[in-house]
Parts: sequence; C-alpha cells; structure tokens
Amino acid sequence: MARSSFPIHAVLAAALAAVLCAAPAARAIGEAQQPVSGMWEALRGQWYADTRIDIAGDAFMRLEVPSNTPDPAATPLGIRFGPDAIGRVRQLRIVVDNNPAPLVATVALREGTPVETLDLRVRVDRYTSVRAIAETDDGRVVMRSTWVKASGGCSAPPSPAAGGTPGEIRLRGADDARALLVSVRHPNHSGFQIDPRSGEAIPPYYVSSIVLDEGGTPLVDAQTTISMSENPSLRIGFAKALPKPIEVRVADSADGHFKAAWTGGGDATAP
Amino acid sequence: MLPGTRFRIALAAIAFFMSANSFASSHAPLEVDELAPGVFVHVGAHKALDAQGHDDIANLGFVVGTRCVAVIDTGGSVRTGRALLAAVRVRTALPVCHVISTHGHVDHVLGNAAFRGDGTAFTGHANLAASLERSRELFARDYADDLEPAGDASAIVAPTNAVTGTQQLDLGGRTLTLRAWPLSHTDADLSVFDDASGTLWTGDLLFRERLPAIEGSATGWLAVDSELARLPGVRHVVPGHGAITADLAGALTRQDAYLRTLVDDIRAALKRGDAMQDVIVKAGHAQRRDWQLWDETHPRNVARVYQALEWE
Repeated sequence: MARSSFPIHAVLAAALAAVLCAAPAARAIGEAQQPVSGMWEALRGQWYADTRIDIAGDAFMRLEVPSNTPDPAATPLGIRFGPDAIGRVRQLRIVVDNNPAPLVATVALREGTPVETLDLRVRVDRYTSVRAIAETDDGRVVMRSTWVKASGGCSAPPSPAAGGTPGEIRLRGADDARALLVSVRHPNHSGFQIDPRSGEAIPPYYVSSIVLDEGGTPLVDAQTTISMSENPSLRIGFAKALPKPIEVRVADSADGHFKAAWTGGGDATAP
Repeated sequence: MLPGTRFRIALAAIAFFMSANSFASSHAPLEVDELAPGVFVHVGAHKALDAQGHDDIANLGFVVGTRCVAVIDTGGSVRTGRALLAAVRVRTALPVCHVISTHGHVDHVLGNAAFRGDGTAFTGHANLAASLERSRELFARDYADDLEPAGDASAIVAPTNAVTGTQQLDLGGRTLTLRAWPLSHTDADLSVFDDASGTLWTGDLLFRERLPAIEGSATGWLAVDSELARLPGVRHVVPGHGAITADLAGALTRQDAYLRTLVDDIRAALKRGDAMQDVIVKAGHAQRRDWQLWDETHPRNVARVYQALEWE
C-alpha cells in the first residue's frame, strides 16, 4: 500500500535523489513540466506578470512535504536552500494551490541573510500541488513544487493540542545556535471550521505575521494566513550561527501583538 | 401497563426464532469465544483502516446476565454490527439492554446502528457525543460503504447515556462497572469491568501487537496506564486490539515502552528545536520491530505528540 511507504521509504528516496542529483549533468526542467492549475496561473500573473520562472534544481532549493501527510491540518513543509540560493533570496512565497486561501506565507529576508532551511506547518484542504517560489536579489524567480495527498485540513476541528493563551511564544534554539524554532500558541481558525457542539461556523482568527528582528530591523518577515496550522510554527535554520539577540514579533487578525526575545540557548518562553 | 414475565419470555422466544431465521440467511454470526461463563469475545484482525476487511479489526463482544445483555463495541460497519447481533442471538434470547462504546473511533462504533431498537441504551464517556459529532462528516464520507444506507451520517448513533466518573450496569446476576478516563488514547475512553468473571475490557486504552494510535495525549495515556495496572481483581483482559491476556501488567509495560520512548525522543528533539518533519523520521524507531502497522500509525502519532509536547 502506498501509505505504508511513508516516511522511511520517502526519506530514503529523497536522500537517494539528492545523491543522484549531485551528478554533474545539469537537469533541464522547464516550467511547462511542472503541474499547473487555474489558481496558480491567476496568482502567477498577479505576482510575477511575465517574468520567467525557472524551476529549481537541488543546488538552488528543495521542497520537502510528505506526499501522504500524517496530519492534513498540520502538514510539515520544509524548504532546503542549496549553495546557489543561500544568501541570495530576498523573498519566498509558499502556496497550496487548492486551499481556499492558497497563499500560506510570504517571507521577506534581509539582504544577504544566509537562510538554509525554513520549516512550517500548513493546512491542506484537498489533493493539491504545493509550491515554493523564491525571488533572488538580482530579480530571478525560481520555483519548486510537489504533490500532496490530503484532505480536510482547513475544516478540521481544533486538535487536542488546542487551548492555552493565544500569543504565547516559545523559542527553542539548536545546540549549534544555527537554528531557531518559533512556536506560537494560537487557534489559527481558518473560517472553515465548525464548532462540533453548536454546529456554528468558527470565524477566522489567525496569526497574520511572525517577524524576527535583529538590531531593530527585520531579519525574517513572514506574513501568514489561515493556511498555517493551528499553533503556527516557523523554524529558521542558518548556514552559520544566528545573530543574537533576536526579537520575535507576532501579530494576529484581531490586532493582537505579542513578542518574545531569544538571547541564545535552548528553551525561552514569553507570554 | 407492564407485560408479565411469562409474556416477556414468550416474546423473547418469538423474537429469537424470528431473528435466528432472518440472520441465518443474510448475516453469518461473528465468530466469538466464551472467555468465561457469559462473556463472549470476537478478536479483530490487524489491518489498516483502508484495507479490505477494515470493518473487522477491533475486539468486540458481549456479556450475558440473567436479565439482559450488554454489547461492548460493535465494529467498523453496520454489517459487522449485524453479524455481532447474530452471534448474540445464537447464545441468548435475552434483550440487548446496553450497547457500550469504549470510545468514538470508526472501527468500534459503526456497528451500533444494528442494535437500534426499543429499550437499548447507547452508553459511552461523557465526551463521546462530541467526539462522534466531530467525526460524523468524515465517517460518512470516508466509510460510506460501512453505513446503511451507504454514506448516511444518521446511521452514526448518538449516545443516550453519558458516563462521568464511574457507573454500574446491572445485567441481572452480574454488574458491569464502567469507568470514564481522562485524555489518553482519545478524549472519550471508557473501560468496562465485569465483576462476575474478573474481565476487564480496556477498549483502546490497551493495544497489543498493533501499534497504539495516539489521538489524545501520550503523557495522559502513560498516567492512565499506571492506574489501570493497579485495578484489583482482573483475571482476563480484553484489549481494544490484539490477543486476550491474563497479564495486564505485562501488556501495559510493553505499551508503555512505546509511549515512553516516543515522549522521551520528542522532548529531546524539541529541546534541540528540531522541526516536526525531522522528528517524524527519527523519533521512536527503537520500538519499530515490536509493532505491526508501524508505517500507517507512527508518523501521525509523532505529529500529534510533537504538537502537544510543544506546549507542555
């Protein structure tokens, strides 16, 4: 059964593909070979007009999403930048074509910021293409996409992990101080969920931005939507040690503003 | 006006022969073993939720008193429920006074509709009603062929008797003690203990052979397990999935080894700030060879536990 091949086989396959793709022969993949959808065509025109969109090889960017997600309402999505992209990307868009709100996040990076990995969790409403589109500092647009089989992620009821105080922030730094995991306590109601007790629709209420400031200006600025999972999570990995301190600012759709500071090390918690 | 006892026996006898006839033709009785006098168990197969035969994967059964019968879980389709009812009718003509659901998962509750009728109470944890409401749409869509009529969400039976704390059911000559547990396998887990035989039905608070699925809380489940291990007078244990055993402590120890490994690995990964995707690949794998249906269940368990422990 296909389902049984995740995750070990998928990971082995990805590792194998990474090895194979390191071979010198450049892969010439045209945009035409990537999946298209009406929604994507519309968004592409709106965001990038007639700009040519290159398809990323592994030396630029990989997109890791389990094809059979373990949780449609919180599907892990990882961007892995290669040597051709690190320090050159100024903006990244993450799109789930068939979601009611296809744009998950628009992430702006400060010039020269050596982001190597970016991880978040997304809602996947039905079988869909998922895309990451990067814009480099010299104006190139580069895309990578994949296909995800899942359904119900936008209308899924709140999980057992729901609750707590909206806006609570947890910051966890990697041992080598090259990565920071930002966890935000928030229901991130999509507007497509039904309260099982009352039968009423739950109105949208979501985190609209997660910004990592350093030295008083944004280092990483993620503008987010209802397509982020409940308790949104953003993990940023650098090719070198993160600068510190980092101040994390979070805003939500009800004009809530929350912040926390990371000064290095492991767990840091802020209300 | 209450009918007399002899009249009721006559009615039951008529019902028995009528139902025995009709079920003999269309519903072969489910195979059950008599674990102890009046205690009947059907052991389900270890199959994935989308496999052929997925509607017969949970352990089901019934307990017969001198007055009436209590059915404990009914399987993953109305079909399976009817086959279970046929098995009841092979053994007794007494009415089914209680259908007890150990929790709200599809493989345990879809057969309930086969037992709808006068005087049958549908009993579960106080959270069961909300649990079924949350799942109703999903069950009707993803398990349409297991309902009658196909895809009919109204074939998912809402409970009529909610248990908070403990509740006793008198079947005549024996008493079942129901106990509602806090967040563990799900948020609506109920155990059943038959005092006459010393049989404990754990529902999915205990998995054997098949990897436990964590819908509620791994840490909550570990706490519940330590309480289950202290229950007195248990001579037979019917797990939600897997073989019947007399060794409750041993079975719980094995289950706890998985839950504990998962919790420890994920806590360590969170402390390092690892992303969920990497944790799904790495956490808990020391336990892999001890369990069936790992790939179908483990990644989701990690995702659930990671998202819960992120906030402990």
